[in-house]
Amino acid sequence: MTDALSIRGLSKTFGAKVAVDNLSLTVRAGELYALLGPNGAGKTTTLRMVAGLLKPNSGEIGVFGHDVLGDPAAAKRVIAWAPDEPMLYDRLTPLEYLEFVAGLWGVEPAVAMPKAEELLRWLGLWDNRGERCEGFSRGMKQKTALAGALIHDPQLLILDEPLTGLDAAVARQVKDLLQARVKAGATVILTTHILEVAERMADRIGIIQHGRLVADGTLDELRARSGERQATLEDLFLELTGGEAALTEALPA
Amino acid sequence: MIAPAGSTLWLMRHELRLTWRGLAQRRGGRRGRFANIWITLAFLVFLMLIAGAPLGFALRHVRAIPIEPLSSLIGVTIIAVTFTLMLSQTLAAAVDALYERADLDLLFSSPMAPRRVLAVRFLAVSFTVFAFFGMLVTPVLLPVAVMGHPAWLAAIAVLFCVALAASGAGLMLAAGLFRLIGPRRTRTVGQVLAAVIGAAFFLAAQARNILGGAKTASLFSTVMRLSHDARFQHVPGLSWPIRALLGEPIPLLGAIGIGAGVFLIANQVLGARFAADAAAAAGAGAGGRRTKVARRMRFSANAFAATVTKELRLIARDPALIAQVLLRVLYMLPLGFVLLRQAGQAQAIALPGSAAALSLIAGQVAGSLAWITVSAEDAPDLLSCAPAPIRTLRRAKLAAAILPVAVMLAPVILPLMVMAPWVAVSAAAGCAASIAMSAMMNVWWQRPGKRADFRRRRSSSWLVGIAEFLLGLLIATATGLVAAGLAGWGLIPAVVALVGVLMLSRSDAQIAQALRAAS
Repeated sequence: MTDALSIRGLSKTFGAKVAVDNLSLTVRAGELYALLGPNGAGKTTTLRMVAGLLKPNSGEIGVFGHDVLGDPAAAKRVIAWAPDEPMLYDRLTPLEYLEFVAGLWGVEPAVAMPKAEELLRWLGLWDNRGERCEGFSRGMKQKTALAGALIHDPQLLILDEPLTGLDAAVARQVKDLLQARVKAGATVILTTHILEVAERMADRIGIIQHGRLVADGTLDELRARSGERQATLEDLFLELTGGEAALTEALPA
Repeated sequence: MIAPAGSTLWLMRHELRLTWRGLAQRRGGRRGRFANIWITLAFLVFLMLIAGAPLGFALRHVRAIPIEPLSSLIGVTIIAVTFTLMLSQTLAAAVDALYERADLDLLFSSPMAPRRVLAVRFLAVSFTVFAFFGMLVTPVLLPVAVMGHPAWLAAIAVLFCVALAASGAGLMLAAGLFRLIGPRRTRTVGQVLAAVIGAAFFLAAQARNILGGAKTASLFSTVMRLSHDARFQHVPGLSWPIRALLGEPIPLLGAIGIGAGVFLIANQVLGARFAADAAAAAGAGAGGRRTKVARRMRFSANAFAATVTKELRLIARDPALIAQVLLRVLYMLPLGFVLLRQAGQAQAIALPGSAAALSLIAGQVAGSLAWITVSAEDAPDLLSCAPAPIRTLRRAKLAAAILPVAVMLAPVILPLMVMAPWVAVSAAAGCAASIAMSAMMNVWWQRPGKRADFRRRRSSSWLVGIAEFLLGLLIATATGLVAAGLAGWGLIPAVVALVGVLMLSRSDAQIAQALRAAS
């Protein structure tokens, strides 16, 4: 079976700073993959390259067999990208926004409109469908952006910090939606700093630091590697990224 | 002297610092700011040499300006024009204060009285408006003062009083609109009104061109006629503006009293109410503006069409943008009337000039809209993620920018096709060339910005901005010459413009590289 995402030897530098360093990574089709790492580890840069928003210095990226660098249009057709800051138009309503995004992906209105209604109802935005996004709260904007990412039924959904700034109820809705998508056969890659979310939701977890993949596998595989069978993801994360040592050093004597 | 924190003076210093930084921000980087200061200084010296010095020299032996009906009417006109132009800016500032809240929430949440906060903000607005006019007037007045008329410097003080009065009036107008039509409409109406007020004197001066007919006089001839009218010989107070401008103590004190009085009364009476209005305006925004779903234009399953629809819809829903574009369209109106009227009456003298001016303004309007559609994209990553070629999306954005200009030009060009076909063809070709040039410059030299920064927009280089304006002038000259039947002569500026455009063109790779460097 074709992998949902296949990255080989990916590197990206910004001036002298190496953001992603010879990274190789595989995400299987139909799984929910959590990409974790400290701030500035290169998670967002990696995902932006996968979404075709950044050109790498070197390396290969394949999405469901499509070469992202060689045939970006074909790859983009099956990808949806939702960054941490929602990409919205303040002066469009959620319904108009979904229509527009559907148009960009070439989805006929006859198909897009029922889908938009379904998504907006599911996310509790149907009553707000006629209001412009300018007055929306952070959670409503995030949900609208998520609906936009789903309107063209992507095979690969890439979400950068999808739960940041959301209240408990909205966060639950988003999590439920992502799990439903995975059940329906889609692949989800997300980054998050909320490690409990990754622990409970992800099929596999990748930990990235200084632009390199330092660990990759299921939670049990990561535990087995560290030899701590009862360890939480937080323990493993801090151990693998050297965060625990830094914490101990920072504590007053 | 350092003002104590929390005092009015301290707040005033804060406001002026923000204003200065806002102005400095218009040119990116330290080098840009210095270049700006040097250009401004050079312009002021130039103004002093070409206007101030000759005027001072000419008036050096004049002992006093006679106070008679004509000079009185000129004084009134100067004050009225200045007040109107300033009012358009202060009204826009008052509307901005209501909706573009920036730090107002922070200031209102502090223990400072909202009335004091607003008074300081509007005083800063007065200073800013005054600074612009003062900068234009001072280089002219200074040589005149040095060469024998020091009292005339009082005109600068009068100018500040007019700025104060305009600031108070702007506040009253915004508060009045808020009461009259509610928070949602005030924003649009206020901004459009500010644009119309700004162009009011231009339109009044063009009344003859718009209305036609022998009875309609131009502004200057109206002033001349009124000055000889018996009813204006003994109007009390008519001479006060000119007396104040020339530095007579009592009228000058009167001007100070009126300016400060209007400002203080407006702030005293409306300050607290305006603060409440500002809170209500924020509430109005949070409620979300409803849009009629049934009457909308649909998005289609085509990236080009969907993007055109999106851009047109965003333009139509942006009151600040409409007000800014409207200002330029208002300048276009009289030119359109001139073309049609003179073509109808077979008075071909001013036709080429109007065709040229029409092409220049059409290019500027298209340039403004192209900046909005190309550079002020709210969700660039969304479009980059879409499986549509960037060229298709760019073409859609340019089409959305050009379409409204074409619609505005059609009522002028189409009738002209019947009345004066050659002029119509020349004007249409000139407008098309000017629009294409402006649009492409906005693509080649795009600089991402926010829609809200429309008024402070800039291309990636001030040199390119100047080049764009000069190219527009060249195309306008070519249009005028061709419309006048001098097609051979028209070729020269046209070819120069074409060479200029080609020199400034950039490939997709160069655009992408520049955008990466800018981000």
